[in-house]
Amino acid sequence: MADILVYAEIDDGVIHDVSLQALSLAKSLAGDGAVTAVALGSGISESAKALFAHGADEVCIADDAALDGYVTRPYRKTLESWLARRTPGLFLFPASTLGSDLAASLAGALNAACALEVDRAAMDGDRPVFSRCEFDRKVLTQFAPADGGWAFASVRDGIAEAAPAEEGKTGEAQSIPVSLDESVTAARVRRRDVAHKTVNLKDARIIVAGGAGVGTAENFGLIRQLADCLNAEVGATRAVVDAGWLPADHQIGQTGATVRPDVYIACGISGAVQHRVGMMDAGKIAAINIDASAPIFRIAHYKIVGDLTHVIPKILNLLPA
Amino acid sequence: MGVNCVVVVREVWDTRDLIDAPLEGGAIKAGLDTRFEPEDLNALETALRLKDEHGGTVTAVTVGEARSVDVLRECLYRGVDEVRRIEGNPLELDAHAYAAKVAGAVGELGGADLILVGTTVVDGVNSLVGPHLASILDVDTVSWVDAIDEIGDGKAVAKRAIELGYEYVEVPLPAVLSIGVALLEDDPRAPRSAKAMLKLKMKKVPIETLSPVGGAAATRVAGYEEVPQRVIESKEVDPEDESALQSMLDELLKGES
Repeated sequence: MADILVYAEIDDGVIHDVSLQALSLAKSLAGDGAVTAVALGSGISESAKALFAHGADEVCIADDAALDGYVTRPYRKTLESWLARRTPGLFLFPASTLGSDLAASLAGALNAACALEVDRAAMDGDRPVFSRCEFDRKVLTQFAPADGGWAFASVRDGIAEAAPAEEGKTGEAQSIPVSLDESVTAARVRRRDVAHKTVNLKDARIIVAGGAGVGTAENFGLIRQLADCLNAEVGATRAVVDAGWLPADHQIGQTGATVRPDVYIACGISGAVQHRVGMMDAGKIAAINIDASAPIFRIAHYKIVGDLTHVIPKILNLLPA
Repeated sequence: MGVNCVVVVREVWDTRDLIDAPLEGGAIKAGLDTRFEPEDLNALETALRLKDEHGGTVTAVTVGEARSVDVLRECLYRGVDEVRRIEGNPLELDAHAYAAKVAGAVGELGGADLILVGTTVVDGVNSLVGPHLASILDVDTVSWVDAIDEIGDGKAVAKRAIELGYEYVEVPLPAVLSIGVALLEDDPRAPRSAKAMLKLKMKKVPIETLSPVGGAAATRVAGYEEVPQRVIESKEVDPEDESALQSMLDELLKGES
């Protein structure tokens, strides 16, 4: 079977969990082929150990100050020259903002097949077939490379179960050479405004989430109160994070976390598809919204049409303090 | 200084109010509603705001057959200077082949300081055309851009949305920026007055028949399948009815401690 490459996204020394899922997906697709974890960054060599422990047969790392902070072009160029010396095959990325961008850039440079945000991946002989939910998640579209050569794909959260780290699995990381001229390193990440992860939305059994419909930072106190009463975590839409009512680690959806709690209570969330993709697999969904035609009601088990500043206090009254 | 922008705009399926899978005989049903790709609309608004503030020109391009002129006309109504239609059927193109055609048009137009396009990922089709385009043109690129923080001195600083916040990425010009969803809440401008629109209706939309830089589609659609929809037993709960709220809570919290 074909060898498969997996991009390991590393942020602050932490390997992105969808990268680990992609690694275990690659193991199952590769059969007796080898799986190579690939990582780029600055000061990331330490992560090689973890990548071996999570199942990589080979680990290749480009560790260079010029790769401090993700900038598309230098990352793309580094991988492009390195890939030129390898036998073309399948290269999987996590469908994070970074992963999808880098996969598309490489495909652009190599005129190669590319499927982003895929929900499933399988092998048809030695060629991959990808499937992605489209049309508001009503149609599963299958993609295949038009011919040989490299195939790039970014895989969505939940594509496979990440393998637990196995002690004793180890190896020697190979280094990916980095040679970038000045015109390529002119671009840089000037500043980051990133929340530290303080909530664990992924493992939460109950989530109370608020959207733009909450209206004000004061009203958001009601969401917190309800969450406290239910021993739940607080989630939010991007609009809430942008308004500064909550830090970004609370965000659920396309550019935030994908969650699968038993209970999801959506308050003042209209249910744009960007948010729904992050929470639609929740066990039970209750939605409170003043607009009876909000799309969130289409996926809600319990629909409460009303003003949340009026409804939430009523619910709080019914719960033991 | 003026900033010269090329904006890539697309007419896409409107998937907002689909009730069933839009399939017929193993293919996407004909006659589905379409709309102006919302993130492309954000890209357009970004370009127009740059023009308002710094001067320069805005040119909108699309790949499409004759009917795609509608999105270009919409761009004229909203205030772009020039429009170009690139001959081709976007349904037969993957993101790479689409980008290759646009790259050809950008060359023909004599380049640009910024090329703006929607990032568009949710419904997949033609997502992240921007990075493909940047690779073909071999220029810097930033995706998921929520705002352009600074522009001038041959560079731009783009505010990029990432999983846990934002990054501010400085890129030399020319560059390709893929614009995200953020501006959607921050309404794009309304089209111009009816009188101005009538005049623009007469304007001829130039057509480019360019051979693409790069190649043919590298990814093909191998088939469609209906996704079984989760059947949800949905209950309407009257917020004024305390016992209804109580039984909802009981059912929701069953098994939770």
